[in-house]
Amino acid sequence: MNFMEIAQTGITIIIGAMALAVVGIVVGLLYKGIDRKIAAHMQGRIGPPLRQPFLDVRKLFVKENVIPENAITWVFNLAPITGLVATITILLYLPIGGFPALLDGIIVAKGDLILILYLLMIPSLAMVVGGFASGSPYATIGAQREMATMIAYEFPLAIIIISLSWRLSLVQGTTHVFSLSTITATPLWGIVGPLGFIGLVILLLTLVIVTPAELSKIPFDSPEAETEIAGGLLVEYSGRNLAMFYLTDGVKTLVMGTLIVALFFPYNLSPLLGLESYTAIIIDILFFLAKLFCVILFSVTLIRVSIARLKIDQIVYTYWVPLTLLGLVGLICLMWDQTIMTQFGMQSIANMLGLI
Amino acid sequence: MLDMFLQTFDTGNGFWNPIVWIVAFVVIFLIVVIIRGFGNKNYKKGTGQTKAFLSGNQEYEKTQMHVKASNLYWGWTESMKWVIDGLKKMHTGNVSDYVLWFVVVMGILLLCVGLI
Repeated sequence: MNFMEIAQTGITIIIGAMALAVVGIVVGLLYKGIDRKIAAHMQGRIGPPLRQPFLDVRKLFVKENVIPENAITWVFNLAPITGLVATITILLYLPIGGFPALLDGIIVAKGDLILILYLLMIPSLAMVVGGFASGSPYATIGAQREMATMIAYEFPLAIIIISLSWRLSLVQGTTHVFSLSTITATPLWGIVGPLGFIGLVILLLTLVIVTPAELSKIPFDSPEAETEIAGGLLVEYSGRNLAMFYLTDGVKTLVMGTLIVALFFPYNLSPLLGLESYTAIIIDILFFLAKLFCVILFSVTLIRVSIARLKIDQIVYTYWVPLTLLGLVGLICLMWDQTIMTQFGMQSIANMLGLI
Repeated sequence: MLDMFLQTFDTGNGFWNPIVWIVAFVVIFLIVVIIRGFGNKNYKKGTGQTKAFLSGNQEYEKTQMHVKASNLYWGWTESMKWVIDGLKKMHTGNVSDYVLWFVVVMGILLLCVGLI
């Protein structure tokens, strides 16, 4: 690798990081506004305007940034920044708007799904650290609950990722099955048989239910639980520090939505319509935003409006027993689709039943 | 030498480049710090504002009010009680019980291997 290539990589990373930080925050806040508006209409309220999250951030920036006397100041201040920064770095590895991931084009800079799984933990860990550093009983209870929630949802999430990558590894000619570029280039819907299709639907459903816990949304928001522990791990946060967590929430919603789109709906409209150049780019971006809207509507808005908050032990049980089993059923369907359906396909079953 | 330093860590399945991630992290960290810098950094030190919020309740000793290390994973242990209690019952401290478990599990594994 020569100096020019290193410089080019460096400039791409710097400009890309700046652009994605802005895009991530703006789009994240916009979808947060859409989510609030739809949720309000579903509850028979008018709801806030779409720009309300932007106004919230502006107001938080004006408010005092109180640091409690019991807090460990530097950790208390660093946690919200770390959470937001780590969340934005995930966007560098995700394909957004029909384009490949920013770092995908740079050979030395690639990162895979396993990396994304680990990076997704950092914002939650930042909240845990910030909660414990607050020196407040409510915040420590919230932080403790967040840790239990993390242990809970990581298990089915890992099953989903492993299942998809394992099935992809059986497709001839595929290398680097944990790579998002491989997954988006080889959508599994068209490859699997009927049983595998059911397996994919089950895995998608599991991921949709994992998403609200990743985002600390109702019914899995017991770490915050405003009516019970007054905001939990965020109880002592105010002003610009709280604004950082608010922005993290917005960007993480975009990240989770994009991840679901990349794993399950990586299709673009432009090849189908035979479009090229700028028209294709615009159509693909709009189509991506529409897919993102649908994913957030189902995985965040509908779930949080229709289900009441679960207790922390119920959350852990939900993820470790029914959802883990559901994920395993999805995996078994994919396995049987490959083995049983190949050996005893529809033709053979019909033969055995004497239908042919 | 530089090539080796910048090389993407690749196991054949998983891969990532820590150096690039750290560079991106630093760049975004600076952007976020600048954005945060637009916010108000003042507050009234040494006033009631800096006391921990306890819904008007009395503040007890810190050791009485915070989550103990033994309760750190409470939600998980409570939810998995049925599994943990079952496992505790299995740990009788009697070596013959452990050998019996070993034989039973080996038998099941061999059956599975044989069936596959």
